[in-house]
Amino acid sequence: MTLLQADDVAVFDASGRALVHPVSLRLDAGAPLVVLGETGSGKSLLAQALMGTLPPELWARGRVRIAEAEHDAAQPQGFRRLWGRAVAVLPQEPWLSLDPLMRARAQVAEAHALVRGLAPVAARRAAAADLAALGLGDEAGRRYPHELSGGMAQRVAFAAARAGGARIVVADEPTKGLDAARRDEVARLLTRALETGGGLLAITHDLALAQLLGGRLIVMREGAVVESGPLAEIFAAPQADYTQKLLDADPARWPRRARRAAGPSVVEGRRLTVSRGGRALVEGLDLTLRAGEIVGVSGPSGCGKSSLGDALLGLHAPACGAVRRIEGVARTAFQKLYQDPVSAFPRRRALGATLADVARRFGRRRAEVEALLARLDLAPALLARRPEQVSGGELQRLALLRVMLAEPRFLFADEPTSRLDPITQRGVIDLIATLAEEGCSVLLVSHDAALLDRTADWRMALGGHGTAEAAGRAAPAVALGAAG
Amino acid sequence: MPLLSRALQALAVALLVGVSTFAMMRALPGDAAWRIAAGRYGYDNVDAAAAASVRAELGLDGPALPALLQWLGDLFRLDFGVSLVSGQPVAAELAHQLGASLQLALAAVALSLLIGPPLGVAAGLRPGGALDRALLVAATAFRATPQFLLALVLIVLVSVELGWLPAAGHGAARHVILPSLALALGLAATSARIARDATTEIAATAFWRFAEFKGLSRGQVLWRHGLRNVAVPLLTLLGLQFVTLVEGVVVVETIFGWPGIGHALVHAIFARDVPVVQGAALMLGLGFVAVNAAIDIALRRIDPRGAA
Amino acid sequence: MSGALAASGAAPPRRRAGGFAVGAALVLVTLGFGVLAPLVVAGDPFTQSLTKALGGPDAAAPFGYDHLGRSLFHRLAHALRLSPAIAAAAVATAGAAGLLLGGLAAARGGWVDRALTLVADALLALPGLLLVLIVLAIMPGTALGFWAGLSLVLWVEFFRLTRATSRAVLASPAVEASRLLGFGPLYVLRRHLWPEIAPVMLTAAAFGAATAIMAIAALGFVSVGMRAPTPELGLMMVELLPYWREAPFALLTPVIATFTLLLGLILMAGDRAR
Repeated sequence: MTLLQADDVAVFDASGRALVHPVSLRLDAGAPLVVLGETGSGKSLLAQALMGTLPPELWARGRVRIAEAEHDAAQPQGFRRLWGRAVAVLPQEPWLSLDPLMRARAQVAEAHALVRGLAPVAARRAAAADLAALGLGDEAGRRYPHELSGGMAQRVAFAAARAGGARIVVADEPTKGLDAARRDEVARLLTRALETGGGLLAITHDLALAQLLGGRLIVMREGAVVESGPLAEIFAAPQADYTQKLLDADPARWPRRARRAAGPSVVEGRRLTVSRGGRALVEGLDLTLRAGEIVGVSGPSGCGKSSLGDALLGLHAPACGAVRRIEGVARTAFQKLYQDPVSAFPRRRALGATLADVARRFGRRRAEVEALLARLDLAPALLARRPEQVSGGELQRLALLRVMLAEPRFLFADEPTSRLDPITQRGVIDLIATLAEEGCSVLLVSHDAALLDRTADWRMALGGHGTAEAAGRAAPAVALGAAG
Repeated sequence: MPLLSRALQALAVALLVGVSTFAMMRALPGDAAWRIAAGRYGYDNVDAAAAASVRAELGLDGPALPALLQWLGDLFRLDFGVSLVSGQPVAAELAHQLGASLQLALAAVALSLLIGPPLGVAAGLRPGGALDRALLVAATAFRATPQFLLALVLIVLVSVELGWLPAAGHGAARHVILPSLALALGLAATSARIARDATTEIAATAFWRFAEFKGLSRGQVLWRHGLRNVAVPLLTLLGLQFVTLVEGVVVVETIFGWPGIGHALVHAIFARDVPVVQGAALMLGLGFVAVNAAIDIALRRIDPRGAA
Repeated sequence: MSGALAASGAAPPRRRAGGFAVGAALVLVTLGFGVLAPLVVAGDPFTQSLTKALGGPDAAAPFGYDHLGRSLFHRLAHALRLSPAIAAAAVATAGAAGLLLGGLAAARGGWVDRALTLVADALLALPGLLLVLIVLAIMPGTALGFWAGLSLVLWVEFFRLTRATSRAVLASPAVEASRLLGFGPLYVLRRHLWPEIAPVMLTAAAFGAATAIMAIAALGFVSVGMRAPTPELGLMMVELLPYWREAPFALLTPVIATFTLLLGLILMAGDRAR
């Protein structure tokens, strides 16, 4: 049964330029439809046009058939009564999508009461049942959003979105910033929507999520459909070059980086204990980071990955133990790449001016900067802009360039690609690998196990304390695992 | 923890009031003792002995430090002494005037809350719309108008020209309208802007959008998710506006001849009646701390994140 | 694509820039009048000629005469130099003190920070007008008293803004990155702190000047500020109020001037609570 059918839906900006060229698609009950694309591919705009949620300065054209009724994409106000009733929209970041001042169960119950028209008591009971079905008990239902874990918030949002009785679930980038375990959980959650004869439209850049969902696939690039068909077939044998490139950018498909003989020790931690806010995150760790070596660090958020790197850089004093850095090397040879490059540059200063300061500081000539720009595939015109005026991938490469001017011997890369598209991510990781080949020691933090597996010479998993920490004495937090 | 910091603030306020009024006392012009004695006993009855006894009583001579400690000690024992002008105990005088000021202040706050936030929320729901632009102009104009100027305009227009309401007096309900309006419009201008900004901000949040996606109507989203969130910055503002309100009360009471604490304060400053100034300043400062402590508690109930 | 479903509704920065230009123009016009008026028409703000009391404009007094037969034109020009001068001095003093102490509190932290914040919080709890009145009673000379009192009241805002901005900037990855690259405190100050603080200070200065001018006028109006015969905006209004019926323009002159000056400053300050 067809739940949603779109014919020639296109999106334009105020000047009439097409941001999404006409797309037709069909969503069937029980079969997921995945729209795959990078930032700027128009995949989110397409989804917004299908739901009548485009920002007011954009407009759409085309016909959308939902729940046996025809809707004109040019008249977004007509879609409003479908929300919650026919279409359930899952938020990108559920922990931001719940009202911070309202308890979890009430946020589900209000949809039962106001959208489905249940009496208050029945609505509360229905909400409790919804949450219980997702493994959330009464106690969790009484919590406020800030007291929920990310995964719990995701489930509450899922229940709230579907409480109005909608059969179609639309999920826009549901795995933004999640690690592999959480991503699998989201995939399971989304497939639940299909069990009762519902439909699922997922918009994502996450290849792993797409693969977990299956069904039909539409690949988009620059506002146009590149390729469409059964997902399994396309993943096995893509027809378009772009699709191939996109698939190859999945860390799981990367070739494994060749192991090389590691050089002398650059940074060492001896019986290192690192804590934040009085809580020991890493205890009694011994590690040696050698020249030319990439060490991967993974672990759940808040487990001390960043604090460990900061301790090795001398930015954060360890609670116990010692850090020894190689002697006879300037402190500026110990550098860091940030997760959010925008926050790592002076906000109001042109990038070129900041880089010129650094070049002068290290006695580098202009030509050297220009050579590096070319090597990192960066247009010189970018230097006239301010940090927030360039794309994330470009800025991260500029940050890398800034680091390279300091001739680093050790680089702490703190989730440097978690906010980048797959193809861009691969480019940045390749550059970091080149730096290692030139003799720099790299500590690479990532939540992507496949990425670390392909890139790192050896890996380290920092474990969260879990419930043991509440009992007082914590077990050793570090499981040293040589991998590769 | 926030209550502890409020307690510290109260302590610091008391100390500040004590030190500054002590300095005021010390800076009284040379014949202060004569003047004070005259105020108390009448000009005909003042002699050198009376002046000397006043001087000794107030510690106008002698080393500063012991006198300051004595002064602060009295303050912390809540012994404000007697008015230099009337000879009555300061506490009793202030208690008497406080009622009239509270009446005016509460009327002004109520009026400002009726005018400001509803307009602000309505404007914030359609940023850039006609109401929003009109409100921006009006709010800017009112914020650029000092309370005394507003009072002047109201007196000239409503009272003198139109003859609708009395410009001065106290007792009947109609007497409170003009002074409280003069106070309320300025307060409303700010609270309207805060409500407007908070509303646009909240209407752009992911949780507002998500509430709409759940199927709630605009009105339901505003009622259930909007207003409670708008109330948080508004309450915070209300606490800070206490100071603006008190300043306004001082000025407006004097202009409209309202027999409140502000009126008394201006007279006390004029007559260099330091004990009354000290008592009034302390009461106003501690009032600010108390109001804000109450708002802290209210905010924690509304916003469990422990913000603010 | 951040917040793709919740896009739209960004703050319009152009309105602010336009408001600033209009505000600056209004302030320039009023201050320009104060400075240039006596050069255009020679005259004196104090000379009385009772025969001309409340009289209309003539060549020697383009705005007419007040109740004591003094030229309103020259009194207004004098008033428009007096309060802005006091306000500027107070804002400069308060700004310098606030910047210095705010920076100190943010950089040092610890008990220095706590002590300074406590003092600021205590001042915040007391009505500014009351503090000014107390200082006026202590200091010799009204203008000096206003300067000292207003500086005491105004530094708190500069302090709080500087402290908050500095703390945020100093804790940012951008500063951390600069330090890792070996840049010293001077670089951090010039390239990180000052560009963030300067616009905030400008806004606070305009707002502080408006507060100061309002305070001087308000206290003049209730007869506890500047003393007659000094021409001061609030004092002029209260003097001319009884003659509203006979000479409405005489009262409107200081009213319009005050409003224009304050409106200009508020527009320069932009949207700010309090």
